[in-house]
Amino acid sequence: MSAAARRVLGGVGAAGVAILAALFIGPILWVAWGSVRNGGSFSGTNYTRLVHYGAGLWTYVSNTGLVVLLTVVGSLVISVFAGYAFARLRFPGSKALFVGILAILMVPHTSLLIPLYIWLDRLSLGNSLVGVSLVMVMYQMPFSVFMMRNSFETVPRELEEAALMDGCSPRTALRRVLLPAVAPGLITVGLFAFLASWNEFVTPLILLSDGDKYTLPLALVNLVQGDWGMIDFGALQAGVVISAVPCIILFAFLQRSFVSGFTNGAVKG
Amino acid sequence: MIQRRILSGAAGVGVLAMALVGCAGGGSGAGSTTNGGAAEPVTLTMWTRSVTAVQSQALVDAFNTEQNGKIKIDLTVVPFAEYLQKVSAAASGHNLPDLLAANVIDGPNYSKLGLWSDITARVAALPFADTLAPAHIAAATTGGSVFAVPHVLDASSLYYNKILFEKAGLDPEAPPTTLQEVADDAAAIAALGNGIGGLYLPGDCGGCLAFTLFPSIWAAGGTVMNQDGTKATLDSTAAADVLGIYHSMWANGSMIPESRNEAGATQNAAFEAGTAGFALLGSKALGTLKENDKLKIGVAPIPGPDGGTSTFVGGDVLGISSSSKHADAAWTFLEWSLGDAAQLDIYAKGGFIPVRTDLAENTYAAADPRVVLINSLVKGGQTPYSPRFFQTFNDAQGPFLALVREAIFGSGVDSLPKANDAVTASLEAGA
Amino acid sequence: MARALAAHAGTGPRLSDVSKARSRRTSRRAWLYAAPAATVLVGMFVVPLGLAVWMSFHKWPLLGDSQPFNFPANYTAISDDRLFTAAVGFTVKYTAIITVVLLTLSFGLAVLVQESKRRVTGVLRTVFFLPVVTGLTTAALLFLGLLSPSAGPLDDLLAHFGAKVDWLGQPTTALISTVVMMTWRFAGFYMIILLAGLQAIPRELYEAASIDGANRWRALWSVTLPLMRSNLALCTVLIVTGGMVAFEQFYVMTRGGPDNSTVTMVMTIFRQAFSQFNLGVAAAMSVVVLLGLVVLNVVQMRLLGDTDEVAR
Repeated sequence: MSAAARRVLGGVGAAGVAILAALFIGPILWVAWGSVRNGGSFSGTNYTRLVHYGAGLWTYVSNTGLVVLLTVVGSLVISVFAGYAFARLRFPGSKALFVGILAILMVPHTSLLIPLYIWLDRLSLGNSLVGVSLVMVMYQMPFSVFMMRNSFETVPRELEEAALMDGCSPRTALRRVLLPAVAPGLITVGLFAFLASWNEFVTPLILLSDGDKYTLPLALVNLVQGDWGMIDFGALQAGVVISAVPCIILFAFLQRSFVSGFTNGAVKG
Repeated sequence: MIQRRILSGAAGVGVLAMALVGCAGGGSGAGSTTNGGAAEPVTLTMWTRSVTAVQSQALVDAFNTEQNGKIKIDLTVVPFAEYLQKVSAAASGHNLPDLLAANVIDGPNYSKLGLWSDITARVAALPFADTLAPAHIAAATTGGSVFAVPHVLDASSLYYNKILFEKAGLDPEAPPTTLQEVADDAAAIAALGNGIGGLYLPGDCGGCLAFTLFPSIWAAGGTVMNQDGTKATLDSTAAADVLGIYHSMWANGSMIPESRNEAGATQNAAFEAGTAGFALLGSKALGTLKENDKLKIGVAPIPGPDGGTSTFVGGDVLGISSSSKHADAAWTFLEWSLGDAAQLDIYAKGGFIPVRTDLAENTYAAADPRVVLINSLVKGGQTPYSPRFFQTFNDAQGPFLALVREAIFGSGVDSLPKANDAVTASLEAGA
Repeated sequence: MARALAAHAGTGPRLSDVSKARSRRTSRRAWLYAAPAATVLVGMFVVPLGLAVWMSFHKWPLLGDSQPFNFPANYTAISDDRLFTAAVGFTVKYTAIITVVLLTLSFGLAVLVQESKRRVTGVLRTVFFLPVVTGLTTAALLFLGLLSPSAGPLDDLLAHFGAKVDWLGQPTTALISTVVMMTWRFAGFYMIILLAGLQAIPRELYEAASIDGANRWRALWSVTLPLMRSNLALCTVLIVTGGMVAFEQFYVMTRGGPDNSTVTMVMTIFRQAFSQFNLGVAAAMSVVVLLGLVVLNVVQMRLLGDTDEVAR
């Protein structure tokens, strides 16, 4: 292929990538733009409406924050230990446990809603953010455990054996040597647990009875779809922006770890 | 000044309420008897649908202020589309709120499921019992017992854009009085072109279509179902006439094309933007639509094919859940919400329809003849009764939506007899 | 076990004792590690699932305390639901489409990001991942706005070119619009998973392949794909299973329309539970769906060659 042809092809490729990127970011830009517009001019009324709605934006954000914190911590703890066990240890019942965890994916959330409601109430966890968090941890298990198992599997056994030979107990080896090695997996699990619990709508809707305990997505839907006949697109856009900002910040902060810290060599040209 | 009026009016109602309760042989439960200072503060939980949140919030706030801690209501606003889900979850867990509001069309269903407690005697004892919106009381009555009272009214009417009327050479003060005239006027407006359409109809929303089409059928003296809501009569002449006129509007282009996909969530949009000559909307829209240089709102009753008028009295009813432990305190709120103070100083003043027909003409309403018109419709309006209403008419996969869509956007009214059978089958199911 | 012990009696009973003790310690340690997961699994999943199965065997009135046993009435009622059979077909069709589209695009994006110049890698990765930070409900509402003739920019844009597309008013376009929305929302998600796998492949393998004369595509086929197996398997399982239980995207975007052409299986379950108030039938349908998915996933895992890794 001639140099000129290669340049043209490269240009076309670059243009293609640019279009693709534009398609992905387009809707988000439309949302951000629309959120600060009202009736043809710039205005912050969409945001003020959101801030003052119901029990106040801060209440909903802190409620959601609690659920997110519990879900992320719970998911990390569970998936690190279980992932390690599946990847490295042989134990009776491991297959059954793994299949059981995967089975969570196969039951539609809708089907579990009412049984969960009744059961959590029995456990005195009804109408509580803790109850909601536990359910979210459960929903995250297939992904997080699978992800950590894969991550642990790619770590060469020699690494661990070297640590053990150096006199580490298995637990210290796990903490000092293996965890850093699976850091990207940990970050992925944490990030996705954050996103899932931050944006979840149906579960807190059914499990929470008090308006004051509502999470952000619930308040948002109430505000946007509340009045029949008119969707408050301005408030929706403001709400999407407010919902997205923490997630974007978190992702921007974490994404550096996707490039660094691999034990078996980065593959960048 | 106004607060004092509310307080004095409310105090009067409060005294009356306490006297009534006292006369009723001493109710059980805290906070219900005379103010011997021993009544403990009661907290009640109340659920309302998001579409009636504004009205409910206004009432609850005023009530809490006046009660000053004696009875406090915690109001939870639930997204209306998920309301039934929450109610069924709570019911399964025997965890319903003390005060449970419902879409009025769900009234018979809730009564049949036993979600509300019987308040027949309490309602009958009210001095204004006869003036409570008859359509709502009928919907809340099952087997002779009353289970809920009207909470928020939403009566369907014909909205038209006076500016577009003038542009099309029609008299903006003389709205159409028959459905056929509506069709003719819509065609005239649609002829204006330039992105202007005649009628915007929520063509993919079963509940909305019932809300807007049934009045024309009733105005023609027809029915949509039998008395107890177990058989559909949508293959009658009246129904065929009404649907036939809408079909012709679709066929000749006077109906805006996007109507076919409108699932209701944005049904006000075209009218508010000034691009639709007509829209059939609820009375709440009068308060939320904003007039501008493209839109001047006129309101008329929904007519039948050859005349007559009627309205679908929608909205919400409010009852005390059967599992509530504070029935008396809950009733205090219900009664208060129906009293003069609440209905006039909160509802009428805020632009909402009073739920009592004796308050239809009040000083607040008199300021806007359109409000007077809508208020006057309530007396003669109907709320269709069926324990299977939601499943048959509102359900997006239900047979009613399919019937209307085929009749209006599809092959026309010849499809009615067969489609009507499917509707009847749904009404009979689970009986 | 005793016979084996006896057989080793002379050669070194202590050795097999030690190894047995070690394996017992390992098992205990393993179960200790697996305990949190097992507790949540049983407490938050198995018990409610059991309750759901129990509900499927009984007539379950909304209120009231008696729940008479009525097996198999709830299950035979499934075939009475006129929407269920059509829903199964539609759900399978949708799953097939979304799996192909999403897997291909996510993998393509991952390779794209991987191969991109260092300067733009971060930007591209962020741009493609951005939609994932919106919730599914919000994303669906967002697209409803985008496609709305009144509030969205698309119809105005197309009108400039004299074109008009009925985004949600025809069965085909409604399905495509929803697939596009889901792809937009999830491509970045699966891209990240695949990216992690891509980055774990040692550079030496690619160098070795190019020395052997393989071009880019050949390297992709013989080096990348085999080493990405477990990540691709994870993605496939998630996408396929997610497709089969698809609900929210259609519930918000199309409401099952136009004219019941986009009704999924779970939507019929939802309808039975919360519109028809037939909780027993809804539970029975859920059990049927679950069994179907179990079978599907067993087949999938076998095809993707993962069972041997599971059994370890």
